Amino acid sequence: MTETTARGHNAPCSNRDFDFFYAGFEGEELLVQRCTQCGTLRSLPSPGCGNCSSLDWEPTALGGEGEIFSYVTHYHPPLPGFSAPHPMALVTMDEGVRLLGAMDGTDPDTLEIGRRVKIEFVRRDAVAAYRFRYL
Amino acid sequence: MTSISNKTAIAGYGATEFSKNSGRSELRLAVEATLGALTDAGIDPAEVDGMATFSMDNNSEQEIFRAIGGRDLKFFARIPQGGGGTLGPVQQAAMAITTGIANVVVVYRAMNERSEYRFGQPMHSLPPTSDNVIFAYHGFSGLMTPAAMLGLMMRRYMHETGATSLDFANYAVLARKYASTNPNAFYYGKPITVEEHQASRMVADPLHLLDCCQESDGGVALVIVSAERARDLRQRPVYIRAAAQGSPKGTVSLGGFYKDNIWPFDECAATARQLYSQSGLSPADLDAAIIYDHFGPSVFPGLEAYGFCAKGEAKDFVKDGHLEIGGKLPINMHGGQLGEAYIHGMNGVAEAVRQLRGTAVNQVPGVRNMLVTAGSGLPTSAALLGVD
Repeated sequence: MTETTARGHNAPCSNRDFDFFYAGFEGEELLVQRCTQCGTLRSLPSPGCGNCSSLDWEPTALGGEGEIFSYVTHYHPPLPGFSAPHPMALVTMDEGVRLLGAMDGTDPDTLEIGRRVKIEFVRRDAVAAYRFRYL
Repeated sequence: MTSISNKTAIAGYGATEFSKNSGRSELRLAVEATLGALTDAGIDPAEVDGMATFSMDNNSEQEIFRAIGGRDLKFFARIPQGGGGTLGPVQQAAMAITTGIANVVVVYRAMNERSEYRFGQPMHSLPPTSDNVIFAYHGFSGLMTPAAMLGLMMRRYMHETGATSLDFANYAVLARKYASTNPNAFYYGKPITVEEHQASRMVADPLHLLDCCQESDGGVALVIVSAERARDLRQRPVYIRAAAQGSPKGTVSLGGFYKDNIWPFDECAATARQLYSQSGLSPADLDAAIIYDHFGPSVFPGLEAYGFCAKGEAKDFVKDGHLEIGGKLPINMHGGQLGEAYIHGMNGVAEAVRQLRGTAVNQVPGVRNMLVTAGSGLPTSAALLGVD
């Protein structure tokens, strides 16, 4: 693991393929990778483009809005850093890529597929993070 | 092209008891299961020259080999993906024997997964390996357990197919019904009701506690040899008609949330295509199956991916009783991993062997060909087994 200062973020487990994602939250930006060869966006980071195999990419900021594609609420066992029940949503962002996000602060019983959400930047202890709230 | 179809057979299996606290080392469990399998087959330990297991297994090949009195180990292979890998070592054995690399291969899995450590806990992510950074990426939002990962997949399945928790209850109850007459099962003598399933606490909504497999201590081993050799041995040969692995485009280990279909489905369908192609069999040729149930609801897309019903129709297939003995496709007659024990699917392979030999406690009459699958929602594997 490299130093926090070199990685630009305090997220606990990352590597040089993922650092940009966590570093983005320090500046309240939701970043995904954009292939500079074919333009394909990818949210789950990878060193290569699944569409054209190019290793060249740049971080690009998303608008932060999307709709719930699926969701789950964690009850057991206890999670480090979150209280239970802990709702989470898999969101199709308006740019077309999916992103998983916590929805703590929202009543789990109200979650619905298709519901519009927006990112909210939060801090979890020393870590700059994000979650979704209803639009 | 060299085919592995019907070139090898499971000649023996061995298993320890399944418990919450085995009271002995994992290696001891592995050795007991291995010796049991060799005795069952009627093969001397000195003949073993190959071993295959799961990457996650904590017992090294050479230590088992040392304990059983092995002489010359020539082939050893390990398959990743936890329960997704169950039939991978079987495929390795079939390939090694078919190509002449080895003659007698032991496939094993032994673990004190309840008494010495526990699966299903929030995953620890260090060091930053290629898989760990993905678990950490999802864990950043609180998605840290296999139950929650499968729950997220199954919620979408429910939305698209109309399946409900009451549908999942039908399988949860059936698994315990089978287990209730299996003396080796945790649920022996303990059938459950739909109401008990519905009242059981949430683990990861939509998954109830009674949708989840058992934390278990235990070991299972298989002995695989050439079909020709198997015919001269003590037991009725259980031929490996096909064995395959599947990890199609977009597959991520318990995190394939970025492809069109996020159900635990695509990797199973990719494996199924290979099985039917290798063997020349079709779903209609199969008399029974072991469908992996780390979480009972995953059985539903599993039935669809392996071709027993159309996409989205498993809820009706299950409701209509087709998984019962006498139905179109009895499954998991040992009680599954919900009802018997969770040995990463290896106890299900053992059940398939018993069914095909005609020695199971909940015997399906006249079984000739069976499907055995592995964990879904991640790179997976499966096999078709049969008797003449």
